[in-house]
Order: sequence, then C-alpha cells, then structure tokens
Amino acid sequence: MIWVARIFSTSIGKKQLMAVTGILFLVFLTTHLLGNLSIYGGIEAFNAYAEHLHALGKLLVVAEVGLVVALIIHVTLAIILFFENRKARPIKYAVDKSGGGGRTLSSQTMPFTGLLILAFVGLHLANLSHHIVDQTNRTIFQIAYEVFANKGILIFYLASMVVVGLHVRHGLWSAFQTIGANHPKYMPFIEWLSIFFAVIVAVGFGSLPLAILALK
Amino acid sequence: MSGKNINLTLKIWRQNSPEDRGRWEIFQAKDISTEASFLEMLDIVNEQLALAGKEPVAFDHDCREGICGTCGCAVNGRPHGPDRETTLCQLHMRRFQEGDTLVIEPYRARAFPVIKDLVVDRSAFDGVIQAGGFVSVNTGQAQDANNLPVPRDDAERAMDAAACIGCGACVAACPNAAAMLFVSAKVSHLAVLPQGRTEAARRALSMVAQMDAAGFGNCTNHKECEVECPKGISISNIARLNREFIKAGLASKE
Amino acid sequence: MQLDSKIPGGPLETKWDRHRFDLKLVNPANKRKFEIIVVGTGLAGGSASAALAELGYNVKTFCIQDTPRRAHSIAAQGGINAAKNYPNDGDSIWRLFYDTIKGGDFRAREGNVYRLAQVSNLIIDHCVALGLPFAREYGGLLANRSFGGAQVSRTFYARGQTGQQLLLCCYQGMMRQIAAGQITMFPRREMLELVTVNGQARGIVVRNLLTGEIERHAAHAVVLATGGYGNVFYLSTNGAGSNVSAAWKAYKKGAGFANPCYTQIHPTCIPVHGDYQSKLTLMSESLRNDGRVWVPKQAGDKRPPHEIPESERDYYLERIYPSFGNLAPRDISSRAAKLMCDQGKGVGSTGLAVYLDFADAIKRLGRKVIEERYGNLFQMYHKITDQDPYEVPMMIFPASHYTMGGLWVDYNLMSTIPGLFALGEANFSDHGANRLGASALMQGLADGYFVIPYTMGGYLGGTPLTEVNTSHPAFTEAEAAAKARTEKLLGIKGKRTAASFHRDLGNIMWEYCGMGRNDEGMKKALKLIADLRGDFWQNLLIPGTDKNFNQSLERAGRVADFLEFAELLVTDALARRESCGGHFNEAFQTEDHEPLRDDENMCHAAVWEYAGEGKDPIFNKEPLVFENVKLAVRSYK
Ligand SMILES: Cc1cc2nc3c(=O)[nH]c(=O)nc-3n(C[C@H](O)[C@H](O)[C@H](O)COP(=O)(O)OP(=O)(O)OC[C@H]3O[C@@H](n4cnc5c(N)ncnc54)[C@H](O)[C@@H]3O)c2cc1C
Ligand code: FES
Repeated sequence: MIWVARIFSTSIGKKQLMAVTGILFLVFLTTHLLGNLSIYGGIEAFNAYAEHLHALGKLLVVAEVGLVVALIIHVTLAIILFFENRKARPIKYAVDKSGGGGRTLSSQTMPFTGLLILAFVGLHLANLSHHIVDQTNRTIFQIAYEVFANKGILIFYLASMVVVGLHVRHGLWSAFQTIGANHPKYMPFIEWLSIFFAVIVAVGFGSLPLAILALK
Repeated sequence: MSGKNINLTLKIWRQNSPEDRGRWEIFQAKDISTEASFLEMLDIVNEQLALAGKEPVAFDHDCREGICGTCGCAVNGRPHGPDRETTLCQLHMRRFQEGDTLVIEPYRARAFPVIKDLVVDRSAFDGVIQAGGFVSVNTGQAQDANNLPVPRDDAERAMDAAACIGCGACVAACPNAAAMLFVSAKVSHLAVLPQGRTEAARRALSMVAQMDAAGFGNCTNHKECEVECPKGISISNIARLNREFIKAGLASKE
Repeated sequence: MQLDSKIPGGPLETKWDRHRFDLKLVNPANKRKFEIIVVGTGLAGGSASAALAELGYNVKTFCIQDTPRRAHSIAAQGGINAAKNYPNDGDSIWRLFYDTIKGGDFRAREGNVYRLAQVSNLIIDHCVALGLPFAREYGGLLANRSFGGAQVSRTFYARGQTGQQLLLCCYQGMMRQIAAGQITMFPRREMLELVTVNGQARGIVVRNLLTGEIERHAAHAVVLATGGYGNVFYLSTNGAGSNVSAAWKAYKKGAGFANPCYTQIHPTCIPVHGDYQSKLTLMSESLRNDGRVWVPKQAGDKRPPHEIPESERDYYLERIYPSFGNLAPRDISSRAAKLMCDQGKGVGSTGLAVYLDFADAIKRLGRKVIEERYGNLFQMYHKITDQDPYEVPMMIFPASHYTMGGLWVDYNLMSTIPGLFALGEANFSDHGANRLGASALMQGLADGYFVIPYTMGGYLGGTPLTEVNTSHPAFTEAEAAAKARTEKLLGIKGKRTAASFHRDLGNIMWEYCGMGRNDEGMKKALKLIADLRGDFWQNLLIPGTDKNFNQSLERAGRVADFLEFAELLVTDALARRESCGGHFNEAFQTEDHEPLRDDENMCHAAVWEYAGEGKDPIFNKEPLVFENVKLAVRSYK
C-alpha cells in the first residue's frame, strides 16, 4: 500500500483526491436540492420528504459518514495545497495582472469561498440537522421556518448560497480537468455546465428559505 | 513601416545576486522607436546606462526570434508582456503609448531563483526532463523511420505539445507558480506517440515527482499558463498528464 | 602545417565502411576510463555528447546558455535533408552527394560529402525513434518537401520548427545521460582557452558566467561544436550569443582555420529598419516555393507595390534563371537581390529590399492553403513589421546566415591539433563554398551521432596519452592567460561599449566583405578593422567587474575575438582569386554577373595557420581531388 501513499502525496494525487471528493459534494448538492425542492409541493410534501429521508436509517448514516470523511479530506488537502502554493511564490509580483481568459473571480477565491462554506455548513447543521436539533415535537418545516424567520440567519444563508455558487463555478469543470476529462469536443459543454450548475445551486437553494417564509 | 518615437518610464527590478534583497529603479527611456523590439529598447537603455557609468540591466536573450525560450520577464504583470502568443523578444514597442510606465520584473517563483536583475535560474526544468522526458533509445538502434506509421493527427497533437520552448512563462503566470503546463507538454508530446508509450507510465510518475521536489506549486486550473504561453500550448495537455498519472498510478507496475 | 585529410582510398561507396573497420576500437570496460570534453550543445555538440555517453565514455559538456536546449540550432526552421527517396522521385545517396558537392561549388571533399549522404538516412531513423514529431501524410508515413533549390523532395520537417525538434532530441538524449551519470553538464560556461599538453588537446579553461570564476577542466580529448561565426557581420540571423571565440582560441593554439571567406548570405530575411536593430530575422526559404520575387523595372520607382502594374514589374529571378526561377540557390538569389538594389530598384524606405509577393499564389491556391503552408511565418512577419503579407507583398533582403568556413578537420573530424575535434558549423568539412538548405542540420547530426562515436574510439584507442590533471603547468599557464586578458579588457576603462564596436565591425564587413567583394574594398577593410581594433583596446568601456554575472564582459571578449578573426576572413577572401559559392569577388565574374571559378589554381581548401601575435597568418593549402564528379559550371539557368 506504499504506492497509494506515494501517489496521494504528489501534487497531482492530492488534486485528484480534491476532485473526487468535490464531485461527491456535487452529487450531494444535487440530491439535497432535488429533495428540498419538495417545498414547492407544499408543507406536507416537504415534511414527508424529510420523514422518508430519515426512514432510510443505516443507509443515511453511511452517506453521512461518507460525506464527513470526504469533507475532512477535501478541507485538509485544501489547507495543505493553499500553503504549498503560497510557498511556491515567496516574493509576490509588484503588478499582478491576469492576461484575461485565465483566472476568474471564482478560481481566485476558492480557498476563501471554501472556508466560508465550511462555516456555513457548521451553522446549517447546528440549525437544522436532525442529530442536533430536537425534532420530536416539531415538523421540519416549523424548524426551518423559525430559523429563517431570523433576518440575520436568512441573510447569511442567502449570501452563502452565492458563495457556494462561486465555489461550484470553478470546482465543477476543474474537477473534470483534474481527473483528466478534458476533450476538445466536450470541454466547452463542461465549462458551460459549471456556470449553469452554479446558478442552479445558488438560485435553487437560495429560493428555499424564501419559499418557506412565503408558505406560512 | 511608419515608425514614430515615444518616451517611457521604466520601473525595473534590480538585484545584484541571488542573495541580494533587490530594489526598484526608475529610468526614463527617451525617443524609443516604435519599430524597435522590447529587447532593443532595453539595449538602448543599457547603452545609456553604461555610458553614464552605471551597470546595465541584466536580461537573458539569445535567438531574438521567439524560439529559444531564453528571454522573458514580467511587463506590467504579464510574462512576455501584453501580446498573446508572443515572446518578449518579439514584442514590439508599437504596443505601447507615449508616456506609458512599464513595470519590469523578473519571473517570481521559488523554483526560479533570481540570478541578477531580470535573469532567473530555470535549471529546475532540466531536472524535470532528466527524470524521464525522453525516449530511451541509443544511437544506432533505430529501425527504418517508415516502419512505424503514426496517424497524422497524433503527430500533429504531439507537435502541438512539443512546440514548448521551455521559457518558464507558465510558471511565472501561474498564481501558484506551478509547472504543470511545461511538464504536461513534454509528457503529452511523448505519450501520444507510439515511440513514447513504452515508458509512459514511468515517465509520468517520475517527472511529476521531480516537479514536486523542485518546489513548484500545485495546479488549481486558473488557466493563466495557457493564456500567457507564447506557443499557445493548451491546458488539455495538463488533463492528459492527469490521465497518464491515473493510468500510471493505478494500472502500471511502477 | 601537415594537412593529411586521411581520406581512405578505394571506391567512394565503401570508403567509410573500410575506414570504420580500420579504426581502432576501445573495449567497453575501458571506455569509462576516458573523459571527453564537448564544448557546445547545438545539434553537433548535443548529439555527440549523447552518443559518446551512450557508448560509456565520461563526457563533460559545456555551453554558454543556461541550458543545452537553447543552443542556436533551435532556430532552424526549414528542415533536414536525407536520401531516403520516400517520395520515389529519383533521389539516392549518390544524388544527395552530387547535389551537395555541386551546391558547394566543387570546393568540398568528395569522401566527406559522400559519407554525409550515406549516414543521412540513419539520422531520420534515430530521431523518429526518439519521438520527433515530423510532418506525416494521412497514411501515417513521413512527409517530405522540396527545399532550398533541390529538384527532389528530400527534406523532412516539423512545421517551421525542425531545428527546435531536432535539438530537443539531442537535449533529451543528453538529459537521459545526465541522469545516468554519464554526462556532467556545465551550462553558462564560456571556453576561454584550449589547453594542450605534448601537442595534444587535453582540456579547456572556462569562465563560469554566473560567478566569474575561472575553472579548469581536463580530459583525454576535446570536441568543439561551437557553431558558426556569422555574427562577425553584427547583424545576422544567428543568436546573439553565437561567436567565434572557441574556434579562434583553438586557432591560436595551432589549429588550422579553413576557408573563413566562405560565408552564406540568406536571401529571405526581414530587411533592416533602424540603427538600434540587434538582429535580422530569417523568413524560411520555403516561402520561395510559392512567393514571387520582384522589383520595379524602373530604378527609383517609389510607388507603393499595388500601384505598380504587372508590366512594370521585373520578376528578375524568373527572368534570369528560367529553370530554377524563384528557387535559385541562396548565394545566387542573394546576389541577384543586391544587384537589383545596386541598380536603384530596391524598394522600401531604405531601398534595401525586394518584394516577395504571394498575390498570385493566393489567387491560384486560395488564402486558406497559403495560410496552412506559411501561416506561422506570415504571422511572424506581421508581428515584426506590422504589415500583413496577405495584403501587401513581403519585403525581404539578404542577411548573413551561415558560415561554411571553420576549423580544418580531417576525415576523422580531427583538427590539426591531435585530440581536438571540430563538429557541426564550427568545422569546414562538408559544404564547400556554399551550403544547400536543410543540409546544416544533417551535417551537425551526422558528425555527432554517426561519425565522432567511431573516430573518437579510433583516436583514443590508437594514441598513447599520458596522465594529465588540472594542476599541470599547461593549465596554470592557460588560466593565467585567460585572467590576464580579462584584466586587460576591464582595465581599459574607455568610453565605448563592446556592442558599439561590434556594430562598427559589422558595418565594415558587410560593406567591404559581404555579398559582393572587390580587392580595393577588402584592402580598405583590412585597414579599417585594424584601426577599429586599435580603438577597441584603447577605448573600450566595460561596466561592472569580473566577479559575477556580467554580460558586458562576455560581449567584450567575443567582440575582441571577432576583431581579430575578421582580419583573417578578409585576408582569405583576398587570397582566393576566384568567385565561388558564398565568395564573390567582382573581378571574377562572367558577363552576366555569374561567379567565375578558377579550377586550375584555386581548387583547394585554404588553411590558415597562426604565426603569433602581430604576425601575418601562414597560408597552407589542401588540394581538392575529384575522382568521381566532373567539375562543371554551376548553372541554375
Ligand atoms: C535562423 C536560422 C535558420 C536555419 N535553418 C536551417 C534549416 O532549415 N536547415 C538546416 O539544415 N540548417 C539551418 N540553419 C543552420 C543550422 O541551424 C546551423 O548551422 C546548425 O544548427 C549549427 O549547429 P551547431 O551544433 O554546429 O552549432 P550551434 O547550434 O550554434 O551551437 C553552438 C553551441 O556552442 C556553444 N558555444 C559557443 N561558443 C562557446 C564558447 N566560447 N564556450 C562554450 N560554449 C560555446 C553554444 O552555447 C552552443 O551550445 C539555420 C540557421 C539559422 C540561423
Ligand atoms: S530570445 Fe529566444 S525566445 Fe526570445
């Protein structure tokens, strides 16, 4: 197994682990969003979805553990890469200008959007996770409504969705590139998908609290 | 070829030796013909410096026609200056306006220490090639060249990658000072040709290991390398390196 | 000076085979006991380093660039010849041999040139095996094009970057041997002195260009592959670092210098446009396959090209050389361009240019085809001149490009100093008075990959060599000489930079010993060069010290050598009482301005021997014997 350690200690190996875990999160985001869109079916549908989800039992635990492990890997590597990359250029340029068509706001802010997302996930779980919040006497809708009724939280949530969108905008195509899936025929589609997916995630999740508030 | 003359302010990084901390100096470049190349402009400034009893600005150059990869520094934050697919020696002063200020500094990367002024040490690239950027065939062993057909498209793709001039602009442009475009260009060149397949796995693994050891950063897909590469080398080569790396890591005996 | 060419006897076709059999071999276990110094990492030095290291010799390689991959060979665009006859169009080893001899105006050795043609095919095989992405046909086999006036398609190419791709083969081969510990690489080193012990070349003294340190390196043999001296003209297509210094130091240690007056002026370069200009850019000769060269019929016609009607244009190459037309060889096309400009028909602001027009080709083939064929060249032209060659005819003018002369070598590529070999453009061996397009790359690689590995063994295996290390007095002496010269240069503290002296020297050489030469001009040049050299040693200014990276000091040393060498070039040109190939003395021409050879008296290589400081060089000659080809007038009409 030494070869595994050797491979994942290289720059490309680390990046590829980032990519694979990142793709896991993208899959998670997709299912999470699809599930939560049940809110548009009304309060009942939303509560029913939550109950179905919890009824998955062990399966849900496996998924949760998987996500936590992926998160630890993704974040740890991000921190390592961040510091390695800073070290690779000890003296900064006096003028640092992009040639245009290269780095984007999204690509440049990945470490920071990542950090913000981490903070958001913490708060989000604290507010809504069935492991933390007592759900015995309240439906998930009630819990969510109470949370989002707090203006501060609402604004933080909405802002965070923009941040997630930014992160995904670079993360998605970047993950494909890093695992080697760049083909002149398909890459334009993947790049386009990145933007599309980023918008969907930001708008889709962003609309949820508004829908919840509107339903009451 | 209707040239005119312009006046510029140059803010140039001066550093006497690798150990020196370095400083900025400001020069006026007067009456520079817009037909002159950027390096010819530096020649003129240097001639004036020498006559004034000062040390000329050291900068690397040789072919002055965009192929040897010797020249290069950052001009207003852009490696090889503002033009696309143009080396510094091919950049012409008609690109600039009367009164412009140009900030001229060496490539900045841990793996490329400054030797003097604008001259940096890029021998880390040689180290990467030594790790496997070749086909292990001795002189005299080869069969007739036409015994090995290579599809034309493959040969063209190999040539696209092989066009790299090793100037280091990719490292200079990368916000992470990563060398992935350079390394991937060599790996790709040899990986798409049947001649290079025999050693493809070993090559990918050992070149990447050497790249890391040399202190380059990690690629985070900013694409700046592709934008600044004077030979227009595409980041699809980086993806190919990533693929080769997976193949080598998971499927080879290496 | 003993000039034994060591050409083996017997039929031409088997000379090299027989010679290889006669050469001594070094047993594999003994090879690692030998150290070989290679100076230069162009195609010649790079291939020699790799090939010798592969055999097991310990090789120490030096170059002035920061890495071997940047040697000047990288700039070659057009391609490399070989006698493969893949296109089935009548080529053969014999034809390549004959074309090269004829192209060289019958001033090269038959034996050497035949060997060159023989090994040419091996080069292509080897480079393909190393992964060189040569152009290919759709069937997957190699493509060829006709180049530089050849009537068969024997040129292999990798877009417009053939030299680059070939050099990368050499470089990668070297990197492999460095990793294997067989080559020790010394980049950013400039050879300052050759060290001889008992008359044999045993080492070199170099300056570490980064630290200024003077270093000594000993070996059993020394190979010089330091390129050509085209920069003696200041403006040339050569890289800025190309120089004559290493060869000149060898000359001063006793190596004969052959035919320095054979210099090639390339017809298709971008014209000079200002006095700050530092180099001339070559536009590949392949452009002449489709472009038509013309000037206005009327001298002094200053109208822009599109206003000059067809009937008032002179397509002079097509007119004078109907069978070769725009593809006439380099020396001929260059001189014709000069002739037109001398007659006042030159175009552009300086009057020193002719048009290379693609309008007809675009009409005939369409813009797309032209773009495919020459896109990168057109783009380069556009970048430099800011003019679009698809719309306006290109302007071109001849420029110094290649030098056929060089260190005299025998069939083994060994100079007159035992143990000192010269390869590639640095020697004089294969191109006679004029080199054909795509043949320099072939020669450099032939020398390095397929000749020196054999002849080096022959030398080392057959020569008694004493143990010599760097504390030998010869090294001490050479180092002292190198240091003294540097001190002398730095001590002048005058008012002019080396670059400005170089520019002046270039002007003298171009004016009086360039494309068209005459006795009066050349005599004047000798005087001007001597004066300029005097001024140089009185008035040179070098900023900085010799203790670190100092490009001004590097330049000064090279210009100092050019200032001495230029005199030898002109002396040789004066002594050659004929016109041939790259050497054109106006006193020797036919009625229609074609060069006039004198085969009776001038069929020899002129080999110059150093006689000491301030003394006239000694003239020696190696008669050229032609057993297989008949000397003919080189006609391209
Ligand atoms: C623009 C251009 C295009 C060309 N196109 C073609 C073409 O299409 N086909 C063709 O056949 N030929 C072409 N040629 C000619 C051909 O490129 C050269 O003749 C050939 O590459 C010379 O190779 P070389 O190895 O002898 O020397 P170079 O490549 O010049 O190498 C010289 C080496 O010597 C080193 N060196 C020099 N002096 C010293 C010193 N004092 N100390 C230490 N090291 C030193 C340098 O660092 C360098 O490594 C072209 C030439 C030019 C200029
Ligand atoms: S000097 Fe050769 S690429 Fe610029």
